[in-house]
Formats: sequence, C-alpha cells, structure tokens
Amino acid sequence: MDILEDILQKEAKKSEKYKTTDVEKNVELELDLGNLLALDTNDLNLQELKSHKEKYLLNLARDNTQLLLNKLWDLPSERREDIVVAKLPAGTLRLPREKPCPKPKPLTKWQEYALEKGIKKKKKTNAVWDDIVQKWIPRFGYKKAELERQKDWVLEVPGNADPMEDQFAKKAEKKKEKVSKNEFQRLRNIAKAKKIKVPKEGLPSVANPSSDLLNTAAKVARVSTASLGKFQPKLPKEKTLKENVIAPKRVKRDHSKISSIDEKSSHLKIIDSILGKKPKLDIEKAVNRQVFQEQHERSEEKKTQKSKGGKKRRKTSIPSKARKGGKISKPRVGKVNTKKGKGGVGGGRKRR
Amino acid sequence: MKILSDERTKSVFEKLAKFIGGNIKLLIDRPDGKYCFREHKDRVYYMSQAILDLALSCNKEQLICAGTCFGKFTKTNKFRLHITALNYLAPYAQYKIWLKPSAEQQFLYGHHVLKSGMGRITENTPKNQGVVIFSMNDMPLGFGTSAKATADCKHADPIAIVCFNQGDIGEYIRNEDTLI
Amino acid sequence: MGRKAKFGEEKQKKGPGRKAKKQGDPSFPKHLKENVEKKLKSSRQRKRARIATQKLEAKALLKEMKKAAIIEEKKIKSAGKENEGIIKKQVPRKKAPVPVLKEPEDSEGEGTTEYSDSDEELQQSKAKKLTKTAKKSQASKKNLFDEDQSEEDDDNDEYEDNDLDIPDDDSESEELGDEEIEDEEGDEGSDMGEEEDEVEGDEGSDVGEEEDEDSNAEDSGDEEEDGDSDGAQDDDYGDSDDSDMLPIEKANKKLKKKMEKEKADAAAEELEMNVTTHDVFQFPEGEEVEKMEGLQDVQQRMKDVIMVLSDFKRLREPNRSRKEYLELLLKDLCLYYSYNEFLMEKLMEIFPLSELMEFLEASEVTRPVTLRANSLKTRRRDLAQALISRGVNLDPIGKWTKVGLVVFNSQVPLGATPEYLAGHYILQGASSLLPVMALAPQENERILDMCSAPGGKASHIAAIMKNTGVLFANDANKDRIKAVVGNFHRLGIVNSVITNVDGRKYSTIMKGFDRILLDAPCTGTGVLSKDPSVKTNKDQADIDKCVNLQRELILSAIDCLSSADKSKSGGYLVYSTCSILPEENECVVDFALKHRDVRLVPTGLDFGVDGFANFRQHRLHPSLKLSKRFYPHTQNMDGFFVAKLQKLSNKIPQSRKERRIEEAMENPEGSDKEDSEESQEDEKPVPKKSGNKRKMEEITKVIKGDKSQKKPKLDSDQQLPKGQKRHVQNVAKNRRNLFKMVKNRRNLFKVAKNRRNLFKILKNRKNLFRVAKNRKNLFKVAKNRRKL
Repeated sequence: MDILEDILQKEAKKSEKYKTTDVEKNVELELDLGNLLALDTNDLNLQELKSHKEKYLLNLARDNTQLLLNKLWDLPSERREDIVVAKLPAGTLRLPREKPCPKPKPLTKWQEYALEKGIKKKKKTNAVWDDIVQKWIPRFGYKKAELERQKDWVLEVPGNADPMEDQFAKKAEKKKEKVSKNEFQRLRNIAKAKKIKVPKEGLPSVANPSSDLLNTAAKVARVSTASLGKFQPKLPKEKTLKENVIAPKRVKRDHSKISSIDEKSSHLKIIDSILGKKPKLDIEKAVNRQVFQEQHERSEEKKTQKSKGGKKRRKTSIPSKARKGGKISKPRVGKVNTKKGKGGVGGGRKRR
Repeated sequence: MKILSDERTKSVFEKLAKFIGGNIKLLIDRPDGKYCFREHKDRVYYMSQAILDLALSCNKEQLICAGTCFGKFTKTNKFRLHITALNYLAPYAQYKIWLKPSAEQQFLYGHHVLKSGMGRITENTPKNQGVVIFSMNDMPLGFGTSAKATADCKHADPIAIVCFNQGDIGEYIRNEDTLI
Repeated sequence: MGRKAKFGEEKQKKGPGRKAKKQGDPSFPKHLKENVEKKLKSSRQRKRARIATQKLEAKALLKEMKKAAIIEEKKIKSAGKENEGIIKKQVPRKKAPVPVLKEPEDSEGEGTTEYSDSDEELQQSKAKKLTKTAKKSQASKKNLFDEDQSEEDDDNDEYEDNDLDIPDDDSESEELGDEEIEDEEGDEGSDMGEEEDEVEGDEGSDVGEEEDEDSNAEDSGDEEEDGDSDGAQDDDYGDSDDSDMLPIEKANKKLKKKMEKEKADAAAEELEMNVTTHDVFQFPEGEEVEKMEGLQDVQQRMKDVIMVLSDFKRLREPNRSRKEYLELLLKDLCLYYSYNEFLMEKLMEIFPLSELMEFLEASEVTRPVTLRANSLKTRRRDLAQALISRGVNLDPIGKWTKVGLVVFNSQVPLGATPEYLAGHYILQGASSLLPVMALAPQENERILDMCSAPGGKASHIAAIMKNTGVLFANDANKDRIKAVVGNFHRLGIVNSVITNVDGRKYSTIMKGFDRILLDAPCTGTGVLSKDPSVKTNKDQADIDKCVNLQRELILSAIDCLSSADKSKSGGYLVYSTCSILPEENECVVDFALKHRDVRLVPTGLDFGVDGFANFRQHRLHPSLKLSKRFYPHTQNMDGFFVAKLQKLSNKIPQSRKERRIEEAMENPEGSDKEDSEESQEDEKPVPKKSGNKRKMEEITKVIKGDKSQKKPKLDSDQQLPKGQKRHVQNVAKNRRNLFKMVKNRRNLFKVAKNRRNLFKILKNRKNLFRVAKNRKNLFKVAKNRRKL
C-alpha cells in the first residue's frame, strides 16, 4: 500500500507543479479560434494589479490561454505521423489592414480578347532547335539576334519582287515596325489602364512628337478660342493659316451632270475588262468539260451503234488524244472565257 | 444619289456577270432610254435617267429608294446582291436551275437546293457559277451558286447540295427591314 | 311576299362577286346563344309545331275558297283584273309564319290596352279570315303562355318591317291602297262610308274587324306592305264572301261577345303574367336603365325603342320626348356594341336608325380577304388558277374591277405562297382599289401617292401605268416606308421614287404632278371590323387632329399638282379616307374648294352612295354630291370615301376676312391708328400700291414721331427676307457647332494650352527632338497583319 500512496503523492506533487486546466471566469471569454484569439471582457482586479502587477497579468494571461487551449482541444483532431492535428475554423474577427487591397491589374487588350475567346497561354520552351545551324537557339535575346545575323547572310528574292530591292533593308524595316508597333500597343494599354484619352489628332502625348504633329497642334491651338482665333494676336514669324483647320471637310455631291454617254462608255469599258478577264487555271473546270464531252460522245456512239446495228465500230481519235494530252491541254481549255465557253464544242475545237 | 466610283462599279459588274454574263451590256445599253446605276446610302440602284433626274431633287435623308435596288456594299466594301435584283437577273440568266414543286417551299425558307429537289439544270453549268433558280412553271424564286457542275449532279447523292442559296424571294418576308 | 323581302336592302348583284357580298352571321356572345336555344327546347316548340300544321290546313282551305272567289269574280266582274294580280302576288306571303290560333283572345286584349300595334292586329285579322270556318272551337283552347311567345315573334317581324321601309314604297302602297278602296266603293257603298270615317278618326271601335285593320294599315306608314296585302285579300273576301259568308260573320260576332266576357279576367291575368315582357315598349325609369340583366335584354330594348321611334306618333309614351328615346337607344347601342358614346352619336347623325343597325352589325363582321392580281407579272385568270391549285377558294370581286379577287377560304397562308413572294398578287382590301380607279392614272404621267404605306394603292397605280412615267410614293413614317420598298420590289415596280417626307411640306421638294392620290390618315371609323379599338378610344380631339392634318395635306397636295391649264391630261387629285365621318371627308374637301382653285369632278365609280352636300349644321358645296361613300353594310367593303378634284389654276382664292387676319398677324405690334389706316388700305390689293404712295406713307410715319417709326423698324428686322434669314440661321448654327468643336478640342489638347510655348518648341524642334518616324508606319503594319 505504501507503493500506492507513494505513487499518489508523486502524482499530487506533479499536479502541484502544473496548474489546473480548469479556469473559472465571471464572464465567458470571447474566443476566435481561427485567429487563435481570446478576448477577456472581465474587470481587472485593481488591487492586485497595483500590488504585483507582473505576476497578476502573467496569471491572467495564462488562465486565458488555458481557456483558449481547452477550446482547441475540443476541436475534432486526428493523428498524423504521431502529431495531433486539428483544423482551425475560419476566423470571425476581421483584422484591420494598413492599406487597401490592391486592385487587380487592368487587362491589356490582348488579355481581354484572350479571355473572351478562351485562349490560354501556352508555355513555350526557352530554346528552339534550328535545323539550319543545327543548334538550339533561344527564342529571344542577343544570342538569337546574333545567330539570326549569321543565318541570314543571304536572302531569297521572291518570285514577283523587284530584283533591285534591298531585301535586307526591307527586313530590317519590318523588324523596326514590329518593334514600334509593340511599343505602341504597350503604350496604348497603359493609357487605357490609366484612363488617359489619347487624342486622335493634334498633339498626342508622345515623347518625341514629330514636326507635322506639332504643326497641326499649333494650328488647332490657334483657332481653339471662342472667336475661332479671329482675335488671336499673331506671333512673330508665324504663318497665316490658309484653310480652316477644324471645320469638317465637305464632301461634294457628285451628281453633277456627267453626260450619260460618258458614263455608259466607261461602264462598257469596265464590263469588257471584266468579261475579257482570263480566268486562272481551272483544272476542275477543264476536267468537268472533258468528262462531259466524253460522256456525250459515248452516248452518241451508243445511239449510232443501236441505230446502225452490227456496223463497224468507228474509233474516234478525239477521246484518246484528250486522254493523252491531259494536263497540257487542260489549262488552255480553262483559259477560254466564260462567255465563249458556253458550249463544250468551243473548247474541243481549240484542242484539235 | 451618287455616281458609283470605278472601283465600286467594277465590283457590281463582276457580281452581275456571275449571273448574267455578257448580258450586262443589255442593262446599260438599252433601246428604251438611258438607264444608269447609282449609289445611295451604300445601296446600288438601277433606274432610268428620267427617274434619276426627278429623284435628285430629294435630299439624302428624304430619299429612300429610286428604281430598283440591286444590292448593297458591305462594310468591307464588297458588293452583295439583294433579292430585289431578281427582276433583272431572271430574264438574262445564263445558268438556271428549276426546282420541283415539292422543293420550292424549302428553298423559299432559305435552304440550299438539294439534288432531290432539282427538277432541271442548264447543261454545262460549271461549279461555283451564279445560277438563277426557277420553279417548274418558270417563276423566278431566287439565285445562288452552283455547288456542283451539271455532270457531277447526275451522279450526286439525293441529299447532296447542288446549289447554295444566296437569295430567295422568301427574304421579302424574312428580312423586310434590311432590304433598304 | 317576294316584294316585301328585299325592299330596304341593296340588292345583291348577280354574276361574279355575288358571294363576296354575302355576310356571315354576326357573332353574338355565347351566353346569348344558349339562352335562345333553351327557349327553343321548351314545350312551346311543340305547340308551335302543332300550330304550324293547323296553319297548313287553314291554308289549304283558304286556297279552295280563293279559287271559288276568283271564279266568281270572273263571272261577276269585268274590272276585277287588278285584284287578281294582287292575289297571285300575295299567295306566297301566306307561307310566312303567322300566329293563327291566338287571335280571338289577343284581339280583345289589345282592344283594352292603349298601345296596340297594328301589325299584330293585322295578322290576327288575317288569321281570323283564314280560320273563320275552321277554328271557332279552337279559339278557347289557347293559353296565355302561348301568347307570350307569339307576341315576341310579332315584335321581331315588326322590327324587320321597320327596317325595310323606304319612302318610295310609301307612295306605291298608298296608290295601291287607293285602288282597293275604289274597288270596295264599287261593291259596297255602306262599308266604304264607314271606312272613310275611320281613316279620318284614326281608330274605330264598333266596326267589323276587317275594315278596322284596313284603316290601320293605311294610317301607319311603316306597315303599308302588310297592310296592302292584307287589305287586298280582304277585298277579295269582301267581294266573294258578301253573300256566302254572312252566317260565318254572324258566328264571329257571337264569338266576339264571348270574348268580351272573358276579356276582363284575361286582361287581369295578362297583367300578372306579362310583367317582364311588355307587348308594347314602356320607357324604363331611371334605375331600370342601369340594371339590365343581360345583353339580350339590351338588344330587346333596342329593338323596342327603334320600333317606337319608327312610328313615334303612335307608339310613344305621351310624356316622353323623342330625345329621351334617342338617348336611351344611344346608351343601349353603346352597351351592346361596346362603342363610346361620342362615336355612337356621330354615327347616329350619319345614318337613319334602320341603316345604323345594319352598319353596326356589319361592322362586327370581318370583311372577306381580298387580293389584287399584279398585272405587271401575271393575269388574273392565271393567278386564280395557280391559287386554286394550291387549295385556295376564290372568285373575282365584281364586275367593276379586273384585278380584284376575293378569297373565301384557303388551306395555305396567303401571305407566304410562292406566288405572293414572286409578286403575282398583293393582299389588299377591296375598298383600296376604289381611289386608284377614281384616279385613273395614265401611262407616262408623273403621279404622287402622298401617304402610300404600305404601298397597296401605289403599286396599283404603277401597275396601271405599266411601269412607265414616274411614280412618287411618299410616307411620313420611316418604319412604314420599308413595307412600301419591299412591296414595290416584290411586285416588280421599277418606275418609282420612294420618299420619306412630311406630306405637308412636299411642295417644297417637287411640284407639277399630273395626278396625286391622297389617302389621308384618318380615325379609321370605316374599318371598325379591322380595328375595334377605334370604337372606344376616339373623341372629338382625335377627330380635330385628323381633320387639321387632312386639311393641311389636301392643300399641300393641291399645291403639288399641276393645274389643268398646264398639264395635258392631268391636274387631278383623289382624296380618300377610310373614315365615314363627314368631318374628315366632305368638310375637308369643302375646305379645299374654298381655299384653292379646284373643282369636284365625278369619280367614275358607278356604285356607292353619294357624298353629303349638307350635313347637320354644315352647308357644303353642292358639287360634293359627286364624291362617293362606301359602307360595310351596302357594299361589304370597308367604309370608305372617295372624292376627285381637278385643279383649275394656281390661283389661291383668299377671302377678305382671312387676308385681314393674316395682316393683323403680321403686324401685331402696330398701334391702333396704324391698324385703322391699314385696314382702309387693305381694300386694295397689296401689289397695286405704287412706289410713290409707299414713300408718302413712310414720310408720314417719320413725321408722326419716333415711336411709331421705331416699331415698324423692329418689325422689318423680324421679317428679314427669306434668303437672308436662312443665311443668318445657318451662320448661327455653324457657330454653335464650332463652339462645341472648340470645347472638345480644348479638352483634348491640354498640351496645346500655351500657344506661345508651343511655338517656341516648334522653332527649336530641330535641336530638341528626334523625330519619331515610325508612327505612321504602325498603321501600315497593322494593315499588313490583318491581310496576312
């Protein structure tokens, strides 16, 4: 029995060491488990606070923490890798914030469009294999530019292009345009995001406005008064304006009496040019015509056979020729204009 | 009422030529008086000179229509024929398709012409050619583009499309508002 | 009788189009029909059948008697031929259902009640004669129940009779009556004397019933036909029976006495039984008017009132005026046909009562669908064939048009057949063919349809012109003009110019039309069957609005017209409306006659009713009779009005009064003195004023003083010459626009605020800026991209 008492005493000592988990409070604490927050609304014991401040506060804090922890233990818990885990509920107290939430970035025009159409960005590899140089080439950057220069040491002149044209310059120009367009779109997106109205005429907010731009802006500015610039003093060396800059351009109604003969002749000319136009190589058309003709001839043949009974079969050379001639003859057939080509006969004659 | 620019005249005539070919000349060079094409609010009208002269006294807002409307220019500057031009297309048509009575109604609802509904077709009609569509008793019903050449038609499926509907007189009811 | 049947009505034309004139039965509310049926199913029906058989017997008997009479007559008389003819005519009338059995009791009842209607008596008497021999015994069998029914029937009969009366018949019948009397004179002098007494003394009491009835018939204007026929019959009897039938007469007198005895109790009974259904209409008291149980009661009362009004002198209640009756009728009509009182009043002004009822009934029925064959694309025969093969049942409208077809029924929607879409016909009311026919367009003319939407009439004009000349189709409504465009293209009309202008300002655009059709917008009182909402939602203000518009339109139309002295064939204006109110029709035309140099010419339509030359308080131009009116109940087309005017010259006649008013309007600020002076000068036409005189006036004004001088100056400022005024307006407008633009610019170019700085920048630009070259190129690139 001694042993038992011994154990009990030890236990008692142990329990003395730790304070009890039960805490009594006059007013229940407000607990916000999500934020691990406990709010004690009980009055402080002022006497105690004055006499031994630290100890009192420490005790109070411990008690309240104990209550919070008690509540935490009530939460449904599970064991994961020898650790007891509980999931906290969502916090109820809204914590104040120093600054407002950042707004989502305004979408660019492309992003809007992509969103609308459901286009998703695909991840691209950084480098692309190039067959010509047999290397992995990065998609952009100085390395790519360098390789490009190496690769395009010679350029093909396209079939219908002017042979004297500098293809390199052309390419460079293209590239520049591309870049400037990109820049333009970037600026436009920024302007849109900041809701800046970009004027279509006059002086747009360009970093380096051109002289044309500035000229028109100056003209517009000059007449932008209530009197339309009438009483605006002339600046030194300023030129007088000839035309009214801001008046809308009048479109003349041109139902002036153009003589109907003129009109008719010009119309007829246009019609002739349309009708005389050579159609492109129309293989299908030629084939159709061919097929039709063959069918026609075959049926003719059958008819003659039937009517003439056992007479000797005449072998017509035309179909075989056509079959042989096939591709060479077809384009020619196709070139016959629609009007002339009304009947298949015309085409046939030409082939012969 | 404006005179058509050369470019526009060309696109109008090209479209007309698809259907009536060289017969366009007959529209311009008429024995019974001077006739002309004019443009008004992007629509192309065909009328006699006498009517034009009188119509010119109305201003743009007041004038709704003069003579016959052939079609309109789309926002992309292409010319589109209206069904209202059928009065002039039908008599001059180069290629024709006649519809069986059973298929008339289908066509008038804006459907394409199927092989099964085709009664007759002009010999030698090429593919993608403008054709005018008639009922069996020679009443013009609309126009379209042939989807198959005459030769192919013979071997085609009964449900194969022979001609694409580009305009039919059912449009007078279906889209009356857009005709002007 | 055959003669009686169709008197008041417009006779149906024979030949094609006859079916079109037929109208279906008016549709009544359901509950009404049920009521009627219930009645029919009652035991009375059976009784009626019994009566009918008895009647047939009586008829057979009568025939025999008649034959005998005729034979006798032939023997005795040489001058009796006329009577014979009458007999023959009258034979079929006997077939009409007549309450044969009831008369003995009835007659006595009527003898007591003040308001006896002659028709009943007549029938009774007739019946009496028929059954003189046969039915003494049956007389007592009758019960009151039976009576009620038969009386109702009588009422209906009377109503019809009233409808049919026409003044012409009056005279005819009177003549006939005279003849009969003469005959009688020849035969029996004694009777005749009595009869004449009665004629003067209105109602006799002691005389034999035959004579009594005769006199009644001649007295009352409405029932002359019945009266005549009966009278004629009576004569026959009188001729033949005088000697033979005396014992029967005696018996009859006996019977009469019996009846008189019974009369007292019978009358008492009747009073009890007939509380609800008065055999003669009694004017309802204040509350009764309000609490009517059903529409049927209303209908009954309407009929009663109309009956009373038709013979007002005799049937009225002594202390009620005609006005009271009319008001009651008005209320009932409004209730029954669901009109508002205003419109009903108007209609009552236009039509006599009998015609009014016909009109109202006809307005409840929808008109048959009609269509017009497009003569530009097809012929009517071909079209009819094509449509018949599609399962449409149709006929030509009538002889008067070569393009109209009327559709009875159709298995396919008429607005969507291939023929319709191909423009072989257009759906169009029969009435809308009329104004075009009146216009009579010729080829190679310039014609204007001022209010053309939806283009039915205008396309008709074009079809008649065979696509020659120029047709202007105008409508002020931009939405409705689309229908015109669609229809014109569908129908293949190529000579048209379609405009969207306010018709009142059309003369500013174009003048010198050879013919103009003005189908003016109106209240639509002629097409009540199409749009019943008109019945209730129109009032005086609406009509005034319409009239104003119509006046302006008709003047503008006349201004657009080339005058007859300049145009070879033309100078004609056709004014039409689908309203039947004279305010919108005759009065408007009359207004035009007063304000422009035009005259009315015949429309060239050979049917329809002549327009009113006088209407109520309006005294219109007598030539307005040349205009034509069409009503739903006579022609079975929508109510319509057509007048054709010819413009004689461009002169504008102005009454002195108006001129004065106008001038007063021009110088509203002028002082009194000036006014008086001017009014003196007004007598002379303005242009005659010589230059000297004007100078004189000015000088006098200057002398008079500053004040009087200033005011005219102000006036003159206000009245700038037209050209200058417009110029000033334009300038002002431009200014305003410019200010707006400037404002916008200012917003846009904040950079450009400081002009001076800007200029400096410009000057130094070479040093300051590198040019951004590529901006222009950007667009090119964008374009290329799109192409790619």
